[in-house]
Amino acid sequence: MKNNVRALRAQRNLAQGQLADAMGVSRQTINSIENDRYTPSLPLAIALARYFGVPVEEMFDDQAR
Amino acid sequence: MIKQGSGPATGSKWFMPLFSLGLGVAILTASWIGGHPGLGLYGLGVMAGCGLLLLAGGRSETIRGLRGDGRDERFAQIDLRATAFSGLAVIVALIVAWLVQVASGHSGRPYDWLLATAGLAYLLAIVLLRWRR
Repeated sequence: MKNNVRALRAQRNLAQGQLADAMGVSRQTINSIENDRYTPSLPLAIALARYFGVPVEEMFDDQAR
Repeated sequence: MIKQGSGPATGSKWFMPLFSLGLGVAILTASWIGGHPGLGLYGLGVMAGCGLLLLAGGRSETIRGLRGDGRDERFAQIDLRATAFSGLAVIVALIVAWLVQVASGHSGRPYDWLLATAGLAYLLAIVLLRWRR
């Protein structure tokens, strides 16, 4: 699923590892999400949205191909 | 909910290495009882080596995931799929072995009851998981 996690992370000058630590997942998981290889669970998607202060549907786009 | 600020969900990094070592000791004991101590020592060496590899490979995500201390939701999903794949591989191997046995004029033992166990375990898991979810 397309998402803008990478853009939001870059806006805050965060490394993947820092975001991973904040979310309680591995750096590779953040990398996989950013590259649309892994769709996070609902709890992780909500945690990411809350962390960046944006609605979940703004962060993840299920319409994009 | 995701526990923030804690890194990947962690288990003990010692569980799998110690499990490997324990399995090695079990192989040694069984082989010793069966009159093949050399084979048992070889098995113990292999399993201890696996344990050491797991313990020493802390920088690799794969090793940490296998070990348990670097496991998060993505790796748990990978683990689930890998487990399903290995189960499927075993079942296919059992079916082939059973067919070969039957075609050779044998009864198909012990592959028949192993296949029955796999089938019953699958059905039981379906019923229980459906009930719980």
